Amino acid sequence: MVFEQLSGNLIQGIVLGAIYGMATMGLSLIFGVLKVVNVGHGAFIMVGAFVTLWLFNALGISPIIAVPIAFGVGMGLGLIFYYTIMQRLLKAPELATLLATFAIGVLLEEIVKLIFGSEFRGYNWAVGKIGLGVTVLPLSKLYACIGSILVAALLYLWFKKTRAGSAVRSVVEDSEGARVCGVNVGGAYALSFALGIGLTVASGTLLTMFIPVGINPYMGGGYTLKAFVIAVLGGLASPYGAFFGGLVFGIIENGSYTLFALIPGVEPFALTRFLSFVMLLVILLIKPTGLLSGSGK
Amino acid sequence: MALLTVENVTKRFGGLVAVNRVSFEIRQGEFIGIVGPNGSGKTTLFNVISGVYFPEEGKVTFDDIDITRLPPYKRAPLGIGRTFQIPRPFASATVRENIAVGAMFGSLSGKVSVDESLDIADKTIERVNLQEHREKPAGTLTPVEKKLMEIARALAMKPKLLLMDEAMAGMHPNDIDQMVSFIKRIAQEEKIAIVSMVEHIMRAVVGMAERVIVLHQGSKIVDAPTKEALEDPKVVEVYLGHPPEEK
Amino acid sequence: MKKQIAKYYPIIPVFAAYLVLFLIGRNVTGTWQLVAMLLFYCALGQAFNIFLGMTGYVDFGYVAFMGVGTYGMALSITRLANIEGLGAAVIAIGFLLALLMSTLLSLAVGAVALRLRGAYFAIATIGVNEGFRFLIEGARIWNGSEGLIFTAQLNQILGRETASALMTFWADIMVLIIAALAAFVTLFYMRSKIGYALTALREDEDAAKVMGINVTKFKIIAFVTSACFAGLVGAASWALKTPYVFPPEVFEIHYTIEAIIIVLLGGAGTLLGPVAGGLIYGISKYYLSIILPGFQLLIFAPIIILIIVLFPEGVIGMLKNRVKNSALARFII
Repeated sequence: MVFEQLSGNLIQGIVLGAIYGMATMGLSLIFGVLKVVNVGHGAFIMVGAFVTLWLFNALGISPIIAVPIAFGVGMGLGLIFYYTIMQRLLKAPELATLLATFAIGVLLEEIVKLIFGSEFRGYNWAVGKIGLGVTVLPLSKLYACIGSILVAALLYLWFKKTRAGSAVRSVVEDSEGARVCGVNVGGAYALSFALGIGLTVASGTLLTMFIPVGINPYMGGGYTLKAFVIAVLGGLASPYGAFFGGLVFGIIENGSYTLFALIPGVEPFALTRFLSFVMLLVILLIKPTGLLSGSGK
Repeated sequence: MALLTVENVTKRFGGLVAVNRVSFEIRQGEFIGIVGPNGSGKTTLFNVISGVYFPEEGKVTFDDIDITRLPPYKRAPLGIGRTFQIPRPFASATVRENIAVGAMFGSLSGKVSVDESLDIADKTIERVNLQEHREKPAGTLTPVEKKLMEIARALAMKPKLLLMDEAMAGMHPNDIDQMVSFIKRIAQEEKIAIVSMVEHIMRAVVGMAERVIVLHQGSKIVDAPTKEALEDPKVVEVYLGHPPEEK
Repeated sequence: MKKQIAKYYPIIPVFAAYLVLFLIGRNVTGTWQLVAMLLFYCALGQAFNIFLGMTGYVDFGYVAFMGVGTYGMALSITRLANIEGLGAAVIAIGFLLALLMSTLLSLAVGAVALRLRGAYFAIATIGVNEGFRFLIEGARIWNGSEGLIFTAQLNQILGRETASALMTFWADIMVLIIAALAAFVTLFYMRSKIGYALTALREDEDAAKVMGINVTKFKIIAFVTSACFAGLVGAASWALKTPYVFPPEVFEIHYTIEAIIIVLLGGAGTLLGPVAGGLIYGISKYYLSIILPGFQLLIFAPIIILIIVLFPEGVIGMLKNRVKNSALARFII
């Protein structure tokens, strides 16, 4: 019985973790290429959630279709923010980009609040469940998990097989060297930023497939913290590390919630969130470049 | 009596041996050059002496104190000063304030007040002739002025040993002459030992180092007075790629 | 001696501003609420500036220190209410407790986070306010998510009238004193070796180390000082004005956002900056709340971006450049 519960837990954790991981890939990509920490990360996830919500409730569009749409929206936003703001701050002290991305996050929250109001919303995408032996999983969650893995795989292929992807990789290795070889470094930066934001917004869609409720303008904050824990877990500059870090984190989060629920007199949800924060500090102390990062990208 | 002793220092990065069992001594007031092309390990050696890296093997002793594993900020009060190849001013602070920082945290650390440090800064500014830029933010200076300020800031630390990283790089030959004689004069007056790191042995000659240590692929190949080193066949080979007997 | 006093001239405009605020509040009917709010924002700005402005590091979890300060005061009031004869000393103890708790929390966070550079430090601090809040709620410390309500105890200790006077007037005076104190400490640091070390490490941390500066030590000094003032502000402005504390309210990132706006607007690292920023932000928020309530972040977020991109030195920074060669230069820093 315990074994069943634990393995059920494990599967749930992996499913959730895949989504968390995918949600963090954008963050790692932007840091890896531009050396910019996107403090407003969670706000972009929130944008993805609202795009999905609106598409579903107002236009009846299934969340699966919403994923590429959200990705497109994200890339658009990314390009806008890059060319208006981030490009001008490339030479500025680190503090400037930290505060700028933070302010962008705040701005997005306020704009969404203005348009949609601050109540908690959700949508109901009833597509049934699937039995996986030890546990039962709603199909929506399974789709979200598969979707996340797909996106991660696509990103991998893009880096390896396309010219643009190779260009971006070269910029990460050595931006001056890449420039000298004729790579349009500025363009690579813009593309990477846009791609990173696109991934993040799309992950908002996948996240709502997993948790279709609680959507509100300020939902991003919690995800920013989780994303950072995952990012430092997997290597702040490595999108693939982020994905695997997400898996690990998903398992830990799910497991700890179950464990905390067994302790009388404590609130498991709150303690699980506290745990993420502690994990962050511990990892940053031991190895800020990422526990899982070797030399791979 | 040696001021600085480097004993069998080895520094590795992963599988790469950047500095390989290098030993040498510097006495008080000496002016030596550490010479070597890119990749010779001289920057790494420099960083070991200033505390940026700790060696895997070997020992660094300064004034009889083992400083091998001492962090950089603890080496300054002992009397080790350093300048950077590309000057690193504290841009928003004035020239005067920049130099005062040197006085405050250098070998006089804990013994001078802010006002006394500012006085020392003023005197140092006069010596380097930067008076008209005294109250300007250091970031607004020209590259040569920044270089002067960099040196002044290190001098304000009242060091016993000054590590100069390619100090003359990118300077006009006339300026170099002036700078060199100025530095030599101050070094003699205040009995500061100078280790000047240069890429090419000719610069060490121009810089009038008394002695040079030549590095090649991490190892010391020559440690001799400058004139001798110039004629040493090993040095010629390192720079020309073949021993002098051929062709 | 004269030279020593001259070093402190720049405090004059700050104290003058607070004095003017006080006089307006007392003598123009109906303005005290606004004045109290402005004093809060100035104090918040002064406190935050000690860290952000002087080190160039940003602590996204800053509000946590205000939160623990509030708890310090609340705990003093609730736990000591029944001890005979303490009376108003409970308030003093509350401040001491607030100081102690912010110091402890900032040392704990700082010991870990301040060893990290710039961006990593910012990341580490992102969860501090949330983390602490969830610790309180999760482990049900200090009444957990139910919080503490202490109107009754306050009335019991001070008597109804005094308690009311405290909440509507004296607490604000305390905030004013805290703001003035924070300004004074800022100037003191600026004029001392601490200030020089902080400027150096802000501009170029590696060069500062080589110059002999123990950067971690100085970062901790600025961090703890800034945290202590945040604790005092929380204790005075939250616990003493609204006698209850709920974890989600006192650890809300909203206040960190406002602190960032105030410091950047006024000019990070300047003495007068937080005053200017606090006044501008506070007044704007006040009038916005009448015309367009709830809109102030929507309006200020892009303003912050504009400042970062176009005017990173802030209002006072620009003013400093204007008055550089005049007699005013001695007063505006």
